[in-house]
Amino acid sequence: MLFSSVTFLYYFLPVTLAVYFLTPMPGGKTRWRNLVLLLASLVFYAWGEPVYCLLMMAEVLVAWVLSLLMDRYRERIAWRRVFLIASLVVGLGVLAYFKYADFFISSFDAAFGVHVPLLRIALPIGISFYTFQMLSYAIDLYRGKIEVQRNPLDFACYVIMFPQLVAGPIVRYAEVAAALVTRRHTLVGFAEGGRRFVVGLAKKVLVANVMAELVEVIRASGDTSFLAAWLYVVAFALQIYFDFSGYSDMAIGLGTVLGFRFPENFNYPYVAASITAFWRRWHMSLSSWFRDYVYIPLGGNRVSVPRHLLNIAIVWGLTGFWHGAGWQFIAWGLWFAVVLAVEKYAFGGVLQRLPRGMGNVYTLVIVAISWVLFDSGGFADAGTTLAAMAGFGASSVVGPESVYYLRSYAVPLLVGIIGATPLPKKVMGWVAKKKVYTVVEPVLVALGLLVVTACLVDGSFNPFIYFRF
Amino acid sequence: MEDTQPAGDGTRLTLRHILTFGVVVVTLGGIFLANLFYTAPVVSQSERRTLATLPIPSWGPVSSAQFMDDFEDYAADSFIGRDQWRTLKALTVFGVYFQTDKSGLYFGDSGAGKFQPINEASWHKAAAKIQRVADSLEGMNIYYSFIPDKSVYAGRYLPGFDPDQARALLGADLPDLAPVDLTNSLSAQDFYRTDLHWDQTKLTGVTATLAQTMGFAPPTLTPIETAGLFSGVYPGQLALPMADDVMTYVDLPESITASYLNAKTLAWEDGPVYDLNRFAGPDPYDLFLRGATPLVTLTNANAPSDKHLYIFRDSFGSSIAPLLAQSYAQVTLIDLRYVDWKLVPDLVDFVPGSDVWFCYSSQILNSESVLLVH
Repeated sequence: MLFSSVTFLYYFLPVTLAVYFLTPMPGGKTRWRNLVLLLASLVFYAWGEPVYCLLMMAEVLVAWVLSLLMDRYRERIAWRRVFLIASLVVGLGVLAYFKYADFFISSFDAAFGVHVPLLRIALPIGISFYTFQMLSYAIDLYRGKIEVQRNPLDFACYVIMFPQLVAGPIVRYAEVAAALVTRRHTLVGFAEGGRRFVVGLAKKVLVANVMAELVEVIRASGDTSFLAAWLYVVAFALQIYFDFSGYSDMAIGLGTVLGFRFPENFNYPYVAASITAFWRRWHMSLSSWFRDYVYIPLGGNRVSVPRHLLNIAIVWGLTGFWHGAGWQFIAWGLWFAVVLAVEKYAFGGVLQRLPRGMGNVYTLVIVAISWVLFDSGGFADAGTTLAAMAGFGASSVVGPESVYYLRSYAVPLLVGIIGATPLPKKVMGWVAKKKVYTVVEPVLVALGLLVVTACLVDGSFNPFIYFRF
Repeated sequence: MEDTQPAGDGTRLTLRHILTFGVVVVTLGGIFLANLFYTAPVVSQSERRTLATLPIPSWGPVSSAQFMDDFEDYAADSFIGRDQWRTLKALTVFGVYFQTDKSGLYFGDSGAGKFQPINEASWHKAAAKIQRVADSLEGMNIYYSFIPDKSVYAGRYLPGFDPDQARALLGADLPDLAPVDLTNSLSAQDFYRTDLHWDQTKLTGVTATLAQTMGFAPPTLTPIETAGLFSGVYPGQLALPMADDVMTYVDLPESITASYLNAKTLAWEDGPVYDLNRFAGPDPYDLFLRGATPLVTLTNANAPSDKHLYIFRDSFGSSIAPLLAQSYAQVTLIDLRYVDWKLVPDLVDFVPGSDVWFCYSSQILNSESVLLVH
């Protein structure tokens, strides 16, 4: 189920919240509310993936049993390691089968000139996210950083809680462990969470979806001019940012309404002045996951330079592979590996001395190139777009279609560009100091909800990029 | 961080929180309850379509997620105040974002319209179907035309329909048939402002071009009668109010009569050329030859020649055919959307030496699968 759908907003959410808040909390314990949350989450997931809901539940059950065994044998390191490895094998094995099997087969076919038939398995929604949550739980338990969760319902609630189930943020168990036992539900939390949810919804529906339309029409137009190429990449950059950060806002907001505090996932990545800074601001819960569970165990930067470069390549190759089962995704990750290595060992110091604006431009160009790779159907496709962006395309500087669409989408583009900077937050921060903010916030929330509803009722173009991960 | 992490605990409750809480609860809860008790109409008059109904859950559709897809359609279609919500969306697109179209739908000085690019694959298939029909019509003078999308005449560049591309594509695919290019015979004023169709009373240029190419005396487009006010498809699709159009038609001499094939009995039945009862129906353009009809014959007892014309057509053909009936002894309209071509030779007498005109709008050529030619 999509957050940005009539079904979610005006059927699922009101019913779920009503049942949730009417469920008693005897002794201040939230066990019954966790059960409501779990059942609602199963309905939420089954709405889009009825069959894969069983797969997800089976994975959760296996992960929970293995965690109990790991805890039972916590004094016996060898057994503990066995159960950790079993957890990793099950989690990564299921992920590999459902997400990567056809990639491996097609790569094998291409390499050896054979024709092993593809499995053509549909990708379970959100599998990369909930698998990584379960893996982080198993590893943290193995490392002794968290206590085992003995209640299977609470464990399942942690893994498949609907706000963050299908597109993150990737929540560590330690971040919600206490709240799973007891948490406060306040009107302030509901109001703040509701506001954050509406902000995310507006980012998704009023900006990301409009940018998605622009991406679609400019592609369909056949215009291969310089302007069309840049219009496409700017629109895609805004689409993916507002799509994903909007979803994160919605998840964090819903979590707050329900009494949880989820980690932040974005911090204005497009104003970063280097790629190193960009990745501290983009999909932060994934970056920190790879840092804590892959990069640091490999030795991080406390190794020789060649080994450090290898570590960077491994982490970013895997980051790319996490995003999609295709060579272009691996190339996308390795592109960042190269840039990060160069920043670290070649001109990181130079970047710091440059005027901030130049750093911003440099970062945006590197990221723009990366999005072309990310969104391409293959390397040839990406090459064509990159050539057009560089002015070496087959067409002219501008085409009639790109001029038309630039004019038609000028305001949404401007809204997206300004919205991707901290300026709106600064303005709201200024307004928040005024008395009028008491009315401004609820009016903006109401207006946002109404306009979003209008767009959803009219059946807007409504793709979610991160659902495919 | 992009937004302050909502505090929840420890933050002092203020009037702002109470109002925001109220807005969220009242909006979500209020609309939920309103939708529970609201009964949506079966048909949307503005969108001219049947609205989705509540699907019945059963194991098969639920396990395949078909039920969920159907429910999503139902939830949007049966939303309370649907038309007003759609208008709010349109106002946002045109009045806040200042976009020049909404999913291809535009409006301006020349009225509303929808642009869409030529679907080359579909046009090639449509041309192949036309060729297949033409191949079985021996000894005929065969012509074809595409009706340019009205966006061509909007007075500003709109992406999508390119007459040069259309001309080249059909010219290459139908080399043995004679083209009748109508592009320069039309203008923005020849189409209704609220509808995709052309105005029958403004087809002087089109009929003159046809007369010149096909060799018949141009028909007269007087006297003109008024059917009444009507609103075309675009105000509903755009969800924006527009001033109504006036539907007029050329009054024909009594010598011209129409007969329609009853699809159930396969018998020919006489009927009016202009059916004013249809004008009051859901699609006022059905005034012309009753709209969606597989086969129609117009007979002119006082025709200047004994020539026959066969028009393979869509709804545009309904309005121009009565004009052409002034110049032919008989005009037969064949709508291959409603009758399979393999049945047509048993239902229609094709007189050798007659004229044949394939005339399709870009909408039909863009979705060739509706043409029943196999």
